[in-house]
Amino acid sequence: MNLSEVTERISRKLEAKGAQPDRQKIESRLRRLVEEFGVNVAEAERTVTGDLAREYKVTGVGGTSTELRPISEIVPGEWVTVEGKIIALTPSLSPSIAQSGIVADSSGAIRFVTWTRANAPAMEYGHWYRIESAVVDEYKGAPNLKIHSGTTISRMEKDIPLLPSITPIAELKPGVGSVRAKVVQDWEVSHERMLQTGLLGDETGTIKFVIWNDDGKEKLDLDAVYNIFYATVDEYNGRLSLTLNTAMYITDEGDIEVGRSETDAQGALVHIAPGSGLIKRCPVEGCNRTLSRQNYCPVHEIQPNFRYDLRLKAVLDDGIRARNVLMQRELVERLAGITLAEAVSIAESNPLGMDEIFYRIRNAVLGRYYTCSGSEFGGRLLASSCTPVAFKPEELAALLNRAGGEPA
Amino acid sequence: MTPQTTFEREPARRVFASELRETRYQFKDGDDEKSPTYVILPTGIRSNRIFIVGTLTEKQRQGDQNIFYRGRVVDPTGTFFVMAGSYQPEAMQQLARIEAPAFVAVVGKPNLYTTPDGTCLVSVRVESISVVDRETRDLWVLDTARETLDRLEAFGTTEDSRKAQEEYGTQPAIYRKIVYDALSQVQL
Repeated sequence: MNLSEVTERISRKLEAKGAQPDRQKIESRLRRLVEEFGVNVAEAERTVTGDLAREYKVTGVGGTSTELRPISEIVPGEWVTVEGKIIALTPSLSPSIAQSGIVADSSGAIRFVTWTRANAPAMEYGHWYRIESAVVDEYKGAPNLKIHSGTTISRMEKDIPLLPSITPIAELKPGVGSVRAKVVQDWEVSHERMLQTGLLGDETGTIKFVIWNDDGKEKLDLDAVYNIFYATVDEYNGRLSLTLNTAMYITDEGDIEVGRSETDAQGALVHIAPGSGLIKRCPVEGCNRTLSRQNYCPVHEIQPNFRYDLRLKAVLDDGIRARNVLMQRELVERLAGITLAEAVSIAESNPLGMDEIFYRIRNAVLGRYYTCSGSEFGGRLLASSCTPVAFKPEELAALLNRAGGEPA
Repeated sequence: MTPQTTFEREPARRVFASELRETRYQFKDGDDEKSPTYVILPTGIRSNRIFIVGTLTEKQRQGDQNIFYRGRVVDPTGTFFVMAGSYQPEAMQQLARIEAPAFVAVVGKPNLYTTPDGTCLVSVRVESISVVDRETRDLWVLDTARETLDRLEAFGTTEDSRKAQEEYGTQPAIYRKIVYDALSQVQL
């Protein structure tokens, strides 16, 4: 472990308590203990943290870890004692982990991991425990309570009903979260272990959700509103998703006007990618994959009874950023001024076939300015609307003023 | 876990002909054979792709074995020299179909080369070219004016613009005037 990391952790802890510690001082104290006195780093950290906490007259750091803390207030880097209810147990991913799950109190919830080496008693689902001297760290961006050999676990004889607070989807962070949301999309599952996946939305935005196959887990109904308590919020490639296996979900009355986290982009279409224009799709229920020219579906093999579709894969470039956009049939029909039926009959009677449609669409849109809006997904804008940009004389006037030269 | 770096397409910079004509400085970003080659535009930004809209005034087929097309695309400030060879068959055929004069939108890579007598020329190797209308041309002039002014406003604050200052001794006032003149030619 490196000392500046420890210094950072100590000063963060103290700063969280409102103190303004001097980092150099912390580091020199640590260095003195470690280098001159041969103290191990963990012990040095404890000593320095405790000393400084006394100096700054703050409590709740270092040696005072027996003080009970609300779960919602604990941050990575702390030693804490919490009292909470085990509201989910998740299958262990590795032999070095004895137990993992979620522990919650009335303020919030946190994921926990019990190391096998900790030799800790197994905690039971639905019971309350006092967990003393556990360490909070960060795992994949989410705070995580680590139960190690120095942690004391004692079962408590209490059962207070927990009322988790609902978080707006736009404000979810990696960890654990409870939402009130509507199922806005139900997607085809991409894996046999997956029970259901789709999109949940509330007034503030949308988020992908996943339910893995698990005993007793039920699917959500499309367009229904649910209260979902203690779902796991994960981050992957900068995007959040909810895993509902740890969660309790119950249907709720009422409806939600789902807020669309729409992205707007204006620019010129500078590239029309292959795979645009008239395409063939696999007719197998729920497949819809694009077929090759020989009508081959990567999953369902040769499909002579394909159905036709129009789409546009293009790059919208504003000079600063080039974005991939994907447009579906309705938009393509409007922009290119050709309907699917017309496109099919042209393709079937023209020697160039489907290429002819690609060229027609390309010639209609390439190099022109458009405003697209839609949801951004995996680095691609799924356009829900796309309109040509119109010339505005007032913009010309504004730019002339900005350029501000004398008339030539 | 190693963070996944997703490929980011290089944006197509908007540049007027009279600025591109002054471009002289070219560099490779990285040592790899496939590393991208950029030019530094005088208003201070690196570019390996540009987007231009103007009038194709002339088109010529050249070469016997290696056929290529050359064209002149005119904007309010000057002329772009565009070319498309058999290494870009799609672009070459697109260009071959267009009859001058026509409003065209061109996406391409700026290329510098030095003639035997030592003059440096800039041409645009076409990636795609399509026929557009007058309104698109006008929109492009506004767009290019805006981005040129944005670059001039950031001039001196970015690494690329300091490099431009060093290489070209860019005088922002001159480019401001070019922008103004270009805008004044847009008819209402």
